[in-house]
Amino acid sequence: MRFFRFLLLSGWACAFAVRADLPDYQAFPATGQQLLLWVASERGRAEPEVRAAQQLAAQGVEVWSLDLVNAYFLPQLPGSMDAVPLQELADWLRASQASGKRVIVVAVARAAAPVLRAAALLEPAERQRLCVILMYPNLYTVAEPLAAPDYLDLGTLTGLSVRVLQPRRSAATPWLPGLLDHLALHGVLVSQGMLENLREGYWARETPTEFEIAESRRMDAMLLRELNAWGCK
Amino acid sequence: MKRLLTTCVMSLLLTSGTQAAGFEARAATAAPGLKAQDLSGAPKTLADYRGKVVLLNFWASWCPPCLREMPSMEQLRVKMAGRPLTIVALDSAETPDEVNAYLSRMKLGFPILLDPDGSNTKRWNVFALPTTFLLDAEGRVRYVLTGPTEWDEGEALGVIESLLAELPAQANQVEYGRSTPR
Repeated sequence: MRFFRFLLLSGWACAFAVRADLPDYQAFPATGQQLLLWVASERGRAEPEVRAAQQLAAQGVEVWSLDLVNAYFLPQLPGSMDAVPLQELADWLRASQASGKRVIVVAVARAAAPVLRAAALLEPAERQRLCVILMYPNLYTVAEPLAAPDYLDLGTLTGLSVRVLQPRRSAATPWLPGLLDHLALHGVLVSQGMLENLREGYWARETPTEFEIAESRRMDAMLLRELNAWGCK
Repeated sequence: MKRLLTTCVMSLLLTSGTQAAGFEARAATAAPGLKAQDLSGAPKTLADYRGKVVLLNFWASWCPPCLREMPSMEQLRVKMAGRPLTIVALDSAETPDEVNAYLSRMKLGFPILLDPDGSNTKRWNVFALPTTFLLDAEGRVRYVLTGPTEWDEGEALGVIESLLAELPAQANQVEYGRSTPR
């Protein structure tokens, strides 16, 4: 009896150990052939992001929603993204590809940094199968007035397809060309889309405009539109 | 447990780094060029303000902290009327229509300049809004502030007064002139 209990406990412990290699995420299952990995910003996951995931799943796009600050008990700050275990994130990307579906990663703000660094840990063939959408990515090490910007080292990203979605109403918009150049230097196949009349994190602003409220309710449609326009289906 | 401890230590380090920095003093370096237009389309450069202390504020009409500090900037203008201080608010990367829509709701008496292509924003390496530069009468950057403040009181007023105090007493004599907002 004692041996049987030991076996059960060992089995449970092993299962936990395997599970612990992947970050905790929220799954929104769907039967379609696309799997969208939504990685929330350093501010954590907001309710409209969950709603968008549900809407996408209802249209056949499976969504795995990952809130890094919650999964790793990190403070809601950009610097927290440097503490994300990259190997676990890379394993999560591999696990998504093992589903056999077309995997698209959406990373918001500073979450772009660990996502790209995890993509750099993948084998070249795995990386080439990924599509990554970066929403207003923050990839700076230093961004101080009167000083030229300095960017994060991201590793080798050869063959990775990235589309940057930049809200027009952002202090980062004038700097977008430099950021795209930086990604291209890492081997990224990069393109961009401009989100007109929107601000960064428009779905979670304290004082959203009417347009931002409306757009946060149709984030699913915006993403599907971008995916179709981009050709990453 | 180890992860939890690491997280706690990191939280302390990271949060201590987010405290308001206030005004950052600079070593009197020459200011980058300013090539902008005012609302009437007239070209403006820093040379237009030479001989005065200049408060150069980068802002945008979609930026709530920028709009929050605008009334205090207007009050500063009124308070300093006749003294050698020029307040210039340079709108970053918006169209004249967007700027005018805001100005129709908020009456400001200081010059608003336009930077529709963001070229000045890049030349001054502005990455966050609002960002404000305080220039001395010789056109050198002396202080930088990232984020909003109450311009007509406290530290902000003290810093401006310290720059004005560097000018000859004659220059600080009050001249009575235009002080009504447009």
